[in-house]
Amino acid sequence: MAEKPVPAFRRAVVALSGGPSDERILRLVLELARPTHAEIVAAHVVEIDWTQPLDANVAEMNEEAQSVLDRAEARAEHAGVKIESVLVQARDVGAAIVDEAVERAADLLVLGLPYRTRFGGDFAIGRTVPYVLKNAPCAVWVAREPMPEEQRP
Amino acid sequence: MIGGRRPLSGRKVGDRRVRIERPHSAYFRYTGPGQLTAKRAASAPKTAFGRAWARVKALAIGRPLASEEEIGERLSKTKALAIFSSDAISSSTYASEEILRILALAGGTALAFGPGIAIAIALLLLIVAISYRQVCMAYPSGGGAYAVARANLGQRIALVAASALLYDYVMTVGVSVAAGIAAITSVAPDLLPWRAELGMAAIALLALANLRGLRESGNIFAVPTYAYVVGALAIIGLGIARIASGDPAASFPTPRVEAPPDGFEVLTIFLVLRAFAFGSVALTGTEAISNGVPAFKPPEARNAATTMLAMALLLGIIFIGLSFLAAAFGLAPDPAERETLISQVTRTVIGDGAPYVGFQAITTLILLLAANTGFNGAPRLAQILAADGFAPRQLALLGDRLAFSWGIVILAAAAAGLVFVFDGSVADLIPLYSIGIFLSFSISQSGMVVHWARERARGWTWRAALNLGGALVTGVVWVIITVAKVPHGAWIALVVIPGLVALMEWVRRQYRGQEAELQVAADAAIPRPHRTQRIVVPVNGINRAVVRAVNVGRTVGPDIRAVYVTDDPDAGEALRERWTRQLPDVPFVVVESPYRSLIGPFVAYLDVLDRAWPPEQEAPTTVVVLPEYVGRHWWDRVLYNQVARRLRSTLVGRERTVILDVPYRRTGSGHEPPASGGQPLPRGVGGQPAPGDDRPTEPGDAAS
Repeated sequence: MAEKPVPAFRRAVVALSGGPSDERILRLVLELARPTHAEIVAAHVVEIDWTQPLDANVAEMNEEAQSVLDRAEARAEHAGVKIESVLVQARDVGAAIVDEAVERAADLLVLGLPYRTRFGGDFAIGRTVPYVLKNAPCAVWVAREPMPEEQRP
Repeated sequence: MIGGRRPLSGRKVGDRRVRIERPHSAYFRYTGPGQLTAKRAASAPKTAFGRAWARVKALAIGRPLASEEEIGERLSKTKALAIFSSDAISSSTYASEEILRILALAGGTALAFGPGIAIAIALLLLIVAISYRQVCMAYPSGGGAYAVARANLGQRIALVAASALLYDYVMTVGVSVAAGIAAITSVAPDLLPWRAELGMAAIALLALANLRGLRESGNIFAVPTYAYVVGALAIIGLGIARIASGDPAASFPTPRVEAPPDGFEVLTIFLVLRAFAFGSVALTGTEAISNGVPAFKPPEARNAATTMLAMALLLGIIFIGLSFLAAAFGLAPDPAERETLISQVTRTVIGDGAPYVGFQAITTLILLLAANTGFNGAPRLAQILAADGFAPRQLALLGDRLAFSWGIVILAAAAAGLVFVFDGSVADLIPLYSIGIFLSFSISQSGMVVHWARERARGWTWRAALNLGGALVTGVVWVIITVAKVPHGAWIALVVIPGLVALMEWVRRQYRGQEAELQVAADAAIPRPHRTQRIVVPVNGINRAVVRAVNVGRTVGPDIRAVYVTDDPDAGEALRERWTRQLPDVPFVVVESPYRSLIGPFVAYLDVLDRAWPPEQEAPTTVVVLPEYVGRHWWDRVLYNQVARRLRSTLVGRERTVILDVPYRRTGSGHEPPASGGQPLPRGVGGQPAPGDDRPTEPGDAAS
């Protein structure tokens, strides 16, 4: 009898930023989810600064924000994987992602990380990834983009 | 959830977030700025009846496919030979029989000419195949006769080619299916009385399969063609072996032929030419490869040309072989069509055991496959014609399963009608066949001559000569076929083909006229409307539907009036009294109609308004606001709006008239919000406004 594949996760929250790393992490998660019928929640957080109320009409009419999730849905549909998409407005992206993962009892949180450098050339990890690594109760995978050719040693 | 936004608290104090509802995501997907792509749910039916119909359709033809699910497969030569040649090769199952059927009119001895005529037709096939190889080379994007003629001979001749092809596609389906059923009835003669019904059922099944989006690229489609080729070659081989071994049964005896009702004819050159004309049906389907060049693996043109020659050789060998065996064993066609000639040959050579039944089954399959080429070709040609504006646009629309549904349905209906009218008789259908195909052969070869003369590429002279030869030969054969077959029913082709050309040109003129009428200069800034608008609301009383329509009319423009057409002057006066009280700012006109007609007087009133308009001013646009009451279900909707529907269809063609439907949808609660003001309107009794009755009528009477 063929062995059943051991699921790497049962429910994963995939944080999508709208950048090129989305494609990479989606491909990875969809490939892993398909054989085990794992669930995927695609989350996109629109950060609202303090000049506006948190429930301001920002993401609702924002085609760009909606299309980040629509692209993920289309990819999942094509791959035959069940996906739920969630669009969130928050003051802090990291906190919102962790809270979504907790509320949905996800056992994996996946983030993409662009390779960016600060002034002076040091790698900049940003605020979100360290927050998620520190606070998420579930497993966290961070997929960093490859270093651009011109910055390679 | 407030306005699609749901505030949520986080794990830590202050980590609040708002989840945003995505109402579009069930139906659409954003695919670019300002661009949405509909999902399947957006096209899903909303009513119970619509859903039930969609389920029935899905059961019959499968779930709808998205455009991106279209598969484009490239075919190898071996697979393409099987797929594109089924039509041509399958014609060997009836072509020999039709030659002998004509020769038999002059008695048994005349049948000896059969193999000779078969050889002459095979030579003609070779000429056509060599000419068509050139089409494959010159038109790698698929050079049907229509495309070649359109490029080189002009639109009208291209339309003749297209009409001829469409005609013969219908004939291909009809004849192939009838011959396929004849292969079955040869084994099971008890089914002979139902051959027309069986044929129509087979056409319906083929249509259904094609509506499901059947593609001929599957390996399964290669099986019948190769099985038939192997089987026929084996039978021919065995038969020749028996002749060579000196079998007394294969000593070329003179067959016994029943005398026709009018007695035997004299064997003349005309009878031989007639036999040749009837046998030329063997060439039908030869053009299929040149139409399908893009489906070949690269190098497409060379592979298609090689396949064309292989097909011609196989068809020639089988056709001559079967004619030769029929002569060797002294077999003649059955005038009552109880058994086909190929069945007789097979039975004589290999006996009537299982291999015979198996070969008959394969013969039926290849013939059904041949009929299917009609289902592939005709809707595709119709789509090209529709795209060029020569056929109704519906024919260019892909159905739920990416098939040209309208073309398939029309072809199936025409072919089934043909089988029904001719009672599924192959012998009766053959005289109508092959006239169109030879006409299109001749046109496409002539087009090729012009093509080479224009291009003047290397070796153009011998290429042009080759096609000129093809054009002349097929042209002469077309004349022979037409002269020979016209008295036997081919006049139908001579009526249908020019009729189709005229029809297509008429359709083109209509679309051209529409285009010219609707054209907007691409560089002109479009100004705001300047024509005055006059709003007219036909009313039947005062009710919620009428009030809603009047309110919509008020938003369109200030020149508004209500018109009440009635045969009862008292009712008119009563309504006027109430109207001026309740809707004083909207002029009310009563049109008395002693002849009880409602539509005519209303339209005449609009005409009078137009005539009364000052001639020095630009005529106004008349906006007719129709109050409509919409029932809850499709079955109760028949009770309402019959007058509104008639009025709409009358006004559709009226100049400078806009029809504005204002539906009042029945909710079923019985507690509608008040139509005006804060207090609900009192309910009327009996539904009709009685004289002096100031209560509103039921909305169900709106415009009915």
